[in-house]
Amino acid sequence: MSRRVFCLFFSGSSSSKKIFARNQVPNKLLSCRELLDLMQAGTLEPEVAFLNASLIPDVFPLLAAAHKTLISKSRESLTTRTLHSELVYNYSGSKHISESLKRCGILDNSHDILVARFGASTDEMMAVEKLIKGKEIDLDELEERANQTQIQKHYKISNVELGISSIADAIVCRIAARDAL
Amino acid sequence: MEIKQDGKESSLILTKQGAEARVFESKFVGRRSIVKERFSKKYRHPSLDSKLTLKRLNAEARCMTKARRIGVYTPVLYAVDPVLNTLTFEYVEGSSIKDIFLDFGLHGVIEERMHDIATQIGDAIGKLHDGGLIHGDLTTSNMLVRGGTNQLVLIDFGLSFTSTLPEDKAVDLYVLERALLSMHSSCGNVMEQILAAYRKSSKQWSATLNKLAQGATLTSYIFVIVLSFLCCPFLIV
Repeated sequence: MSRRVFCLFFSGSSSSKKIFARNQVPNKLLSCRELLDLMQAGTLEPEVAFLNASLIPDVFPLLAAAHKTLISKSRESLTTRTLHSELVYNYSGSKHISESLKRCGILDNSHDILVARFGASTDEMMAVEKLIKGKEIDLDELEERANQTQIQKHYKISNVELGISSIADAIVCRIAARDAL
Repeated sequence: MEIKQDGKESSLILTKQGAEARVFESKFVGRRSIVKERFSKKYRHPSLDSKLTLKRLNAEARCMTKARRIGVYTPVLYAVDPVLNTLTFEYVEGSSIKDIFLDFGLHGVIEERMHDIATQIGDAIGKLHDGGLIHGDLTTSNMLVRGGTNQLVLIDFGLSFTSTLPEDKAVDLYVLERALLSMHSSCGNVMEQILAAYRKSSKQWSATLNKLAQGATLTSYIFVIVLSFLCCPFLIV
């Protein structure tokens, strides 16, 4: 099965974005299931967030979720156990943590994966790159790889709303308004 | 890794100050944005104050996103901060209907543009009302026209609520009528054009406009009664 991985590192004020495409899973790499277990247990080293890239049509909603995550972190009010699982939870726009991690995180059969890390040092970026072993592709690919039907279903975005809004903006609104509902 | 406690990324520039909130211009992850901060009222009991502020903050966020779901242009909501009592949304480039209409009043009305704007207003309110949302503060300064596309964008859902009662919808339209009369009487009968578009856009226009017509006569009665009461003491003296 071919698997593609996108990487997003937030470092300092500017986030450097890199995307990797990978056609084969090297032997020493963990399966998605194992990665998921590690992430949920909080023992992944370096700690990263794995997201289902088919639900991410643009970087902006992810940045909005990251913004929200950092604010919760600064107030010591994370809902989930780690900073990076909080990112996945916030991106989901839902209040169900386990459901969020399942849908917006990765599953055994995940095809396109986005890896994100806050405050990544050069070493950590290298470590993640090594784990991925891929060829870099452009960030614009996110939009092509996104599954619009899946997004609309997950975020409950009607066609009426898409008439006046981009799909990315609709997601941002849901991420922002979740706690107000 | 440094995380700023206040959650503010860049400088805030005060653009407007109202009775309920302050509005700033700022940046949100690289995009130009507007921050609306509801401040506390010192004359209220602290616990009541914080409850009211938070409730209204959340209600505004809910109503704005609901409006988008029913197909009415509102700014994209970027973030809600219940600790700082702020909402962050998209910066809409363009001018307010108020400025456009005032300009019409000064330099003459451009009929074509006026018709386009009035149609968009009626259409947007019709959609809101059919979706069960009452704006609550329909004035020309709460309507913007996006530069370039001439798209109408409704803002300030601070007084919004959900209701399907014809009375609430009629009050919403009545507020707009009053606002137009008091600010833009030199623009001709805009309300007529707005209501024409409203009738086309809203399926339940009939009940609403009936209430509006009733209300208009009722308020004028009340007005006369109040006036006569006010005049009475003078007459006696």
